[in-house]
Amino acid sequence: MFHRLLIANRGEVAVRIARACRDLGVSPIGIASKADLDASWVEAMDEVVAIGPPAASQSYLNATAIVQAARQTHSSAIHPGWGFLSENQRFASLVRQHGIAFCGPSAAAMRTMGVKSSAKRAMDRAGLDVLPGSDGPLPNVEAAAACGNEIGYPVLLKADYGGGGRGMRLCHSEAELREAFGSARAEAESAFGSGAIYLERYLTGGRHIEVQVLCDSYGKGVHLGERECSIQRKHQKLIEESPSPVLSAEEREAIGERAIEASLAIGYTSAGTIEFLRDDDGKLYFMEMNTRLQVEHPVTELVTGIDIAKKQIEIAANRPLGLDQADVRFEGSAIECRINAEDPTQDFRPSPGRLKAFAFEASDGPGQLRVDTHLRAGDEVTPHYDSLLAKVIAYAPTRPAAIETLRSALSNAKVEGVHTTIPLHLAVLESEEFQRGDYDTRSIPGWTGKAN
Amino acid sequence: MLRRMELLLEEVDGKTQLSSPGVGLFTLAVETGRVLTTGMGAGVLDSLGTTYQLVVPEGVIGRVVSTPPVRLRAPVGYGTLLYELEPLTTAVMQDELAPVLPGGGKSSVLAVRAPHSGRFWHRPAPGEPPIVKEGDLLGEGTAVGLIEVMKTFTHLHYASGGPLPNKARVVRLVAGDGDEVLEGDPLVEVEPL
Repeated sequence: MFHRLLIANRGEVAVRIARACRDLGVSPIGIASKADLDASWVEAMDEVVAIGPPAASQSYLNATAIVQAARQTHSSAIHPGWGFLSENQRFASLVRQHGIAFCGPSAAAMRTMGVKSSAKRAMDRAGLDVLPGSDGPLPNVEAAAACGNEIGYPVLLKADYGGGGRGMRLCHSEAELREAFGSARAEAESAFGSGAIYLERYLTGGRHIEVQVLCDSYGKGVHLGERECSIQRKHQKLIEESPSPVLSAEEREAIGERAIEASLAIGYTSAGTIEFLRDDDGKLYFMEMNTRLQVEHPVTELVTGIDIAKKQIEIAANRPLGLDQADVRFEGSAIECRINAEDPTQDFRPSPGRLKAFAFEASDGPGQLRVDTHLRAGDEVTPHYDSLLAKVIAYAPTRPAAIETLRSALSNAKVEGVHTTIPLHLAVLESEEFQRGDYDTRSIPGWTGKAN
Repeated sequence: MLRRMELLLEEVDGKTQLSSPGVGLFTLAVETGRVLTTGMGAGVLDSLGTTYQLVVPEGVIGRVVSTPPVRLRAPVGYGTLLYELEPLTTAVMQDELAPVLPGGGKSSVLAVRAPHSGRFWHRPAPGEPPIVKEGDLLGEGTAVGLIEVMKTFTHLHYASGGPLPNKARVVRLVAGDGDEVLEGDPLVEVEPL
């Protein structure tokens, strides 16, 4: 095992990985930008390297400075966390080039999965269902129109190197497609440095279901079941749960098996997540693969009892997985709410500031509560980085009990000094649709835009 | 050729603080008591195989009152304090400033000077004769010695321009064999032919 591991990230995920390091007897080494040097989360580290000015481009995205920091602190591994450089194959290569282990998959796997059309092709070949669409990027508007007419409208234009909805256009007819093609391409070019655009059938509604996989470097892998993340706003997940209320036990087993087979087929190692969209008929279409630890991993940890962050470090240290699929058991129900410093009544305007109070008291609900956070009362929520304050996760034997635990925890939460998304979460948890498990990616059940 | 990177500048309680602009290993620190001015090289930062000459930023002049790090190749982060400077008083003699000011100030000494900080060597390897000695003639491109930075040795060639004529004769070797030198320090004193 490693003696020292550098965490190339900040905030909540840095604290989470530091905890996994402690459990394994590894010394966690942190990096912090100038804006974070006095933050309380750096106390979770044994040593901290000041990495650069507040701007992420000069600190948490500065690959050379981070690898140098690992070298001069004698760290033999780097964990990238999520966001920042976590899915950057050039960073993964640079790290390994300097003899440092990278807690993630091979650069080749990251590359295949990082370009959308190549990921889709690889997963199609590996046996997953994909939405009908163009085979790779479209050379021109005529090819786009021909492809659109063949698969039928509505269709979605997507940027090959894209993310976050940029370069994406929904087209209901050939006329709309012809009009949108040029601007989608220009937007992709300016946002991602590549104007490659592909097209696929647009699925109205649908549910976002993702499968967690873990693969070691000896060709062995297991799946840890699914998470449902259909409650989203502008492609940002708000609430995640496991198990999904719509999947039957047979469906769960079937999609898990196909996900792990596909991952092993591309030679995947480390933790990864395959995201699917489920249509009304129950068919699951491959959307994309995230080649890193995910924000919502705790719900899976609670229902399986497996520590994913720890497994990632062990896999990077070339330890065998030590798990068979039969060892993975799913018990109970876990639901996570992401609490952001945003004002949901003001169109989710970011709300940085100093936390006057910040406490989630032990819930009086029927289940257990897990709170993953890097903050405490008195801390400053800086405007420089993302607005995640905490993840509050409830675990109980049944879904209604988990909902009740979470509802009670959030209504007793004391957060003062910044606006938070807690009112939105309470509205969802109290809505009948959510309690029935009847929701999809289109709307946020129970939320009217106003706090109750 | 070394890349140049400006030190970070901050004024604290009337003292000027210069700190590291990046993450890396810091060497060739300027010693306590020496004077630093704008544009001067003040140590070297090695960051993942790239060597940066650290340069004193605009508007700075002062005497180093801090002590250099104890460790050779000291690991530093962004903003690690490297030098604390106290302001110069008028009592400072022009002489002291002359060799460090760009262009040589009043310096009447005609010399080949260090293009950046490093270690100056007279001979290509121990036991071999020096590259130049007193009385040698120097012309465009004649090697005068070696400069070592981070274990990399570069030949230093005579180049005319500024006060230096096309041809010159070596008067004496100012910097000793293996001496640490700073940017602008005289290495080899010469006279015009």
